[in-house]
Amino acid sequence: MSIEPVSLTASLSAILPASTPALDAFAPLAPVQHPAPGFGDMIARCVGSVNDELVKVDNEVRQVAAGAGPSLHEVMIHLEEARLSFQLLAQVRNRLLDAYQEVMRMQV
Amino acid sequence: MDYRAAFQISAAGMAAEKLRLDVTALNLANMHVAGSSAEQVYRPQRVITQTVSFSQQFGRLAGNAAGVQTTVVPQNVAPRMVYEPGHPYANAKGMVAYPGVDNVTEMVTLNTALRAYEANVTAMNAARTMAARALEIGGQQ
Repeated sequence: MSIEPVSLTASLSAILPASTPALDAFAPLAPVQHPAPGFGDMIARCVGSVNDELVKVDNEVRQVAAGAGPSLHEVMIHLEEARLSFQLLAQVRNRLLDAYQEVMRMQV
Repeated sequence: MDYRAAFQISAAGMAAEKLRLDVTALNLANMHVAGSSAEQVYRPQRVITQTVSFSQQFGRLAGNAAGVQTTVVPQNVAPRMVYEPGHPYANAKGMVAYPGVDNVTEMVTLNTALRAYEANVTAMNAARTMAARALEIGGQQ
């Protein structure tokens, strides 16, 4: 008794024709002119905005130290806002890393 | 309501109280500045804070911080006349006009502004603590 080795391409070719009509039903959704902004783009944008905020606050601190610019409490509040936005980014990163590690621990 | 809106509300209150303190300091600084005539003497200033209407306040909560409306108006008080015949600014009767700054009122305003400023700082710190606590949700302690 011999077991016929299963070939992946053969099984795929067996599956694909059957699923094509189902894929055709979703065809209007499929064509995308440009690649949609990915997850990495979103993270990069968040990092960029947080960095912009930190740079802006840094400039304000310089201005206050030079005796010009906005009032002291405004700068302190902007500092706190920048700190909170950075903490938010750090927490998002922590959660993402947790999810990634969860996936890596998964038994396949 | 954005968490920054709470910060902006506290910032508006702090700016108003800071202005009050500045104007009080100005009054105290000019307390003993004699004027060449009773009309030209320094008139003590006062900060008038106006409550913004409900729609404006709601708009502030929604994100666009408007701030407390403040105006500085000179008080209509009579100058303090002191009998100093030798003074260069003395009039025919030997009276010199000094600003009618009430020392006690200014000191009370000073303390009130200071306490209100501290209250605004406390409110802002509370808002910040709440935001920081919210960021701890779901974390591994």
